[in-house]
Amino acid sequence: MNPQFLVDGLIAGSMIGLGAIGITLTYSILRFANFAHGEFLSWGAYIALALSGALGFLFSALKTPVGPFSFGWSLPLAGILAILLTGMLALLLDAILFGRLRAQRGAVIIMVMASFGASLALRSVLEFIFTSKPAYYTKALQIAVNIGGGLRVTPDQMLALALTAVVVFAIHLLLTRTGIGRSMRAVSENPALAGVVGIDVRMVIRAVWIVGAGLACIAGVMAGLLVQIRPYLGHDLLLPLFAAAILGGIGSVPGAMLAGLIVGLSEAAAVQLIGAEWRAAISFVILVAVLLIRPRGLFGRQA
Amino acid sequence: MTLGGGTNLVPALQTRSLIAGYEPDMPIVRGVDLSVLKGELVVLLGPNGAGKSTFVKAIAGLVPIHSGTVHLDGQDITAVPVHNKIRRGLAFVPQTENIFATMSIYENLLLAAAMAPKSERERRISTLFERFPDLASRPSRLAGQLSGGQRQMLAVARALIVHPSILILDEPSAGLSPKIVAEVFTMLQDINKSGVTIILVEQNVRAALAIADRAIILVEGKLRHEGSAATLADDPIVAKLYLGASATRKAGVS
Repeated sequence: MNPQFLVDGLIAGSMIGLGAIGITLTYSILRFANFAHGEFLSWGAYIALALSGALGFLFSALKTPVGPFSFGWSLPLAGILAILLTGMLALLLDAILFGRLRAQRGAVIIMVMASFGASLALRSVLEFIFTSKPAYYTKALQIAVNIGGGLRVTPDQMLALALTAVVVFAIHLLLTRTGIGRSMRAVSENPALAGVVGIDVRMVIRAVWIVGAGLACIAGVMAGLLVQIRPYLGHDLLLPLFAAAILGGIGSVPGAMLAGLIVGLSEAAAVQLIGAEWRAAISFVILVAVLLIRPRGLFGRQA
Repeated sequence: MTLGGGTNLVPALQTRSLIAGYEPDMPIVRGVDLSVLKGELVVLLGPNGAGKSTFVKAIAGLVPIHSGTVHLDGQDITAVPVHNKIRRGLAFVPQTENIFATMSIYENLLLAAAMAPKSERERRISTLFERFPDLASRPSRLAGQLSGGQRQMLAVARALIVHPSILILDEPSAGLSPKIVAEVFTMLQDINKSGVTIILVEQNVRAALAIADRAIILVEGKLRHEGSAATLADDPIVAKLYLGASATRKAGVS
């Protein structure tokens, strides 16, 4: 077996993990499975594409590749703006859709169905604006570096892995060491009590949307950089995202990240061992197995 | 009460024709007028389903108020959202799930202390630890691992951290052994003596009447009877009618 699957699996797992953290946070605090979460990845990727293009057009120096990487400063700058804008998109969606349903104290299934609808609408808007033709942040080609053991990694891939590690660590600190993070965990455990203690639950919900969508944007930009940008980019990752969120245990950030890596590595291994056509089935198998054997996942609370 | 006594004339908490309930067309609290004076310890009694719990939850902002008003120290707080009531000085301790089980004792206190100025938080927590030595021994322990009595202590400690003017508790004795109930009630008496007005919902009638200044009896969402705790405790008809068999059975105990 070619060990290269380790690199592919870790890369895919990083994107899945970042996306799954957003799903696990919104799931545990808003108490519904948001099927529109995948679209935050796609929108993040396309917003970064548009902004990066605009920056490159205005200041052509920003297009020159930075060091060993395939992209210029326009992409990281656009990425930071895209994180904020994707967060705004999530807040907008909450204001016009989910927030209204919450105010009506609607059933969970209504929220889930609404998220399906939102997902379709968001994806169609992307196809309408950008067409379904794949797009790329850069035309530059990259040579993979041999890092020993027969493993080959491009500088972009190494950057993505390092960035994921930093971001996950930062989110972990946010949740465990800051006031807003403690408030998020409090609302996740008991929203009514959180209110009694003095936590503004609506503010926490807004913070969770921004964090979840921001992470989705980072995952989307990474997917766009390392693979390609398509309107279906997020949608195609939805099943792995949910498999990772549930395997990690709803509400657990380290769980979602670890499970993301497990799902990514399993997929990459399956491609080699069974065949590429079975890749998509792996998430499904993991999802069903976890729900049957250990529904609370690796680090989830006892239901 | 003497006229010109100043602040004592303004009730610490007052509800006027309060109607409240989870569903708009199904009020559970059906027009309650209640005045609680500063420094009083009032116990709210009544049979199961009388609306005691719903009444205090409505005051705390957890159950929608359909009509009527709630005043705290003369200010209308009817429409103040739940998370801001604590900032006005009204602290509520729910009956069940009143601590964050997945967080440590320290984090539970820190959550509530977030309301206090940053420079004061640590000092307030350490003051509380002096008052509740049971909690202080291992502040990093998860609250979910505490015993029933310790949980109640933690819930009350957390409510006190913001120095509330009024403390409302929904059946703090539920599920506790008689010995622990006595401890909790002694603690509430001490808190009351330190100047905090207390409203207590209780099923544990005798024990509650023993520490209360005044008792209110709710029946079917309405205020049915009101009197000094001592009078009510000795009123066999009241006990039989409103307090259920448990009161008559326990009558000789305390």
